[in-house]
Amino acid sequence: MKKFVIHGILGLLLVFFFDLGIGRVLEYYYFKQESGFQHRTTISMDETNADILVFGSSRANHHYNPDVFINSLNKTFYNTGRDGNFIFYQTAVLKSILRRYKPKLILYDFSGKFSYVQEDYDRLSSLLPYYRKHREIRDIVNLRSSFEPLKNLSSIYPYNSTLANIVIGNSNLGKKGKKGYVSLMGEWNEPLNEHKSIDKYEVDENKLAIFNEFLDLCKRNDIPLLVFVSPVFYTYDKDYSITLCKQICNEKNIPFYDFTKDERFLKSPQLFDDKEHLNDSGAKLYSKITLNIIRQQLNMSNLINEEF
Amino acid sequence: MLFNSFEFLLFFPLVCIVYYIIPIKLRWAFLLLSSYYFYMNWQPIYAVLIFTSTLVTYLCALKIDATQIKRRKKTYLTLSLFINLSILFLFKYYNFFNSSIFGLLNDLGIRMSLPNFDLLLPVGISFYTFQAVGYTIDVYRGDIKSEKHFGIYALFVSFFPQLVAGPIERAVNLLPQFKETKIFNYEQASDGIRLMIWGFFMKIVVADRLAIYVNSVYGVPEYHSSITLLIGTVFFAFQIYCDFAGYSNIAIGCAKILGFDLMTNFKRPYFAQSCAEFWSRWHISLSTWFKDYLYIPLGGNRVGAVKNYRNLLITFLVSGLWHGANWTYVIWGGLNGFYQIIFKILDVSPKSRKIGVPFKFNYLVNLTITFVLICFSWIFFRANSLYDAITIIERIITVSGSLFIGDKSSFAYSIFAISLLLIKDAVDEFYPDKKMFFTSEYRSVRYLSYTFIISTILLLGVFDGGQFIYFQF
Repeated sequence: MKKFVIHGILGLLLVFFFDLGIGRVLEYYYFKQESGFQHRTTISMDETNADILVFGSSRANHHYNPDVFINSLNKTFYNTGRDGNFIFYQTAVLKSILRRYKPKLILYDFSGKFSYVQEDYDRLSSLLPYYRKHREIRDIVNLRSSFEPLKNLSSIYPYNSTLANIVIGNSNLGKKGKKGYVSLMGEWNEPLNEHKSIDKYEVDENKLAIFNEFLDLCKRNDIPLLVFVSPVFYTYDKDYSITLCKQICNEKNIPFYDFTKDERFLKSPQLFDDKEHLNDSGAKLYSKITLNIIRQQLNMSNLINEEF
Repeated sequence: MLFNSFEFLLFFPLVCIVYYIIPIKLRWAFLLLSSYYFYMNWQPIYAVLIFTSTLVTYLCALKIDATQIKRRKKTYLTLSLFINLSILFLFKYYNFFNSSIFGLLNDLGIRMSLPNFDLLLPVGISFYTFQAVGYTIDVYRGDIKSEKHFGIYALFVSFFPQLVAGPIERAVNLLPQFKETKIFNYEQASDGIRLMIWGFFMKIVVADRLAIYVNSVYGVPEYHSSITLLIGTVFFAFQIYCDFAGYSNIAIGCAKILGFDLMTNFKRPYFAQSCAEFWSRWHISLSTWFKDYLYIPLGGNRVGAVKNYRNLLITFLVSGLWHGANWTYVIWGGLNGFYQIIFKILDVSPKSRKIGVPFKFNYLVNLTITFVLICFSWIFFRANSLYDAITIIERIITVSGSLFIGDKSSFAYSIFAISLLLIKDAVDEFYPDKKMFFTSEYRSVRYLSYTFIISTILLLGVFDGGQFIYFQF
């Protein structure tokens, strides 16, 4: 038994040093990336100080063209949207940003569901590289599991499954994006079809609380917030997720705009890359439409003269 | 509790420490308690089912042993089988048979129906039921004496390393081990740790990584091309192997650390030269269970050729049904039975190559043919429905197109993981006596090999992979 314990300790020490060494190398190269989605998350969390920020998932990332906003409003802009990451990720990024500065306007592109989806929790792994340095996001990342603080004692674990993307990000092969925005260049040519209605479902309380936290953080910090649901290329009757989002925004007096039934887009497949994502032309058109809304809203709240 | 969960990483060392510290006479009770805790961590109420199965088989075995009258022995055996298989039927097969039979009657114009039960399938029910039933049959046949100590017997049925996904142990092998005084054995514990590390690699790095691609391909087969479906099927072949063999390795490793020897469950099945050999290397504990308790009682191969083929087919069909209450599993079983029959008729089953003998061209041809046939049967095993399975086969034959890669990095990790697995398996298969990597005579090489595998698990493992596929069976 004594021999086993001694060898066990030796083995654990070896694993510890390997873990530390490999983890440090990964950390160095992770934050040294100059392209790719991981690099864009680092900019969102640690660097951007743009006046206007866009939050959301892939639909946010591909739908808000910075040129339109920068040229018309003469303000700085950054799109923090990231593919496949929803409310948990967005609120964590906002918390990190608020630790550094207060943006002047936030555009929130709503997508996803309020129901329980395990994958949404799994996707919080996107934030693991920031877990150690960003205490403010730990509550959200810990939703993955109560063992997250222990798991993060490992130096490799936060960079699990990121190796290939780190190599791509450092070799400049990753998509750079324009102020975070990544354009899609495809053209959808399938006919318009109808999606099933999403009726009332059981809400995941975590998601609801984190979504409310996002809205409340903006309110508490006096940051004007506009919530959008950007266009899709399908029809549907009801979508409880959107209904609930609208209801919450109304209760909190937050402007809410739903473009999913906008005829300008439903009649124009050429504006889409796929049925849920606009291509670059679609993004330009949609950005112009949202720009007009921003102007109206900011005029109404007199912010255009004060802050803008 | 899942082996690949963080809870288990805390649970198992704690169990080991306490197990070796407490007095020997209390160890069985501690292991029994730990085993029930392990199971109840998932769905506490279903521990009642294990307890029921334990109690019924324990009492029936006592009664079988106590009487000399053959008819009474048979009555108790029947009672034990009836209760155990009824529980299994109710939880696993009732809805399937209900919808299949009444669906057929409806098609014939006879309107009848029974309500379906909305029951969650108890994890590992097929495994512990078969283990307990196997014990009763052994006692009935006089192969073993009934166990008098209820606690020891309850531990035999619920021993946590192999409770939910096997290996399905035989009483003759495992029961006596619970009565032995286990003294910590360095070599055995080292072997156990080695098996556990490799098991975790197979599950977390290979199986769960491949599952990402397989799920996206098999989820919507109607959108994928021939090459994508072929790659998806090959990936599934390795996924199911690593998922299940990985679990078995962890289970056997855990048991070894505690001083118990469980039977080997997998012997590098994709190096088999024939379908018959494949089944002597794949899920060995289940294959031998069916051989001993179904195939041989049916007459085995000591009957005429036609009856022998019938016995093979029945055994494989039941094996398919054991895996799941779905026609896809039945067809998968039937297909494997059919392979055995055809190979027997054609008399082309090559004899197993002796392990360690260098391979020849014929060996590669046989290996490839076997692998292709087994992969073809996996299509039915993995497809979400019979309709999907047929769609996949149709599209493999007819639809050309480009390869869907999905997440490029994940695809690259998949290839890397399979390569590493094949290197290790090939070394074990062809050079069993060479001491390399884990078994090197140099301690530094062994330690570096472990460290490399652990680092790979941390770096490339899928930690959100969830359950083992075989838990559902």
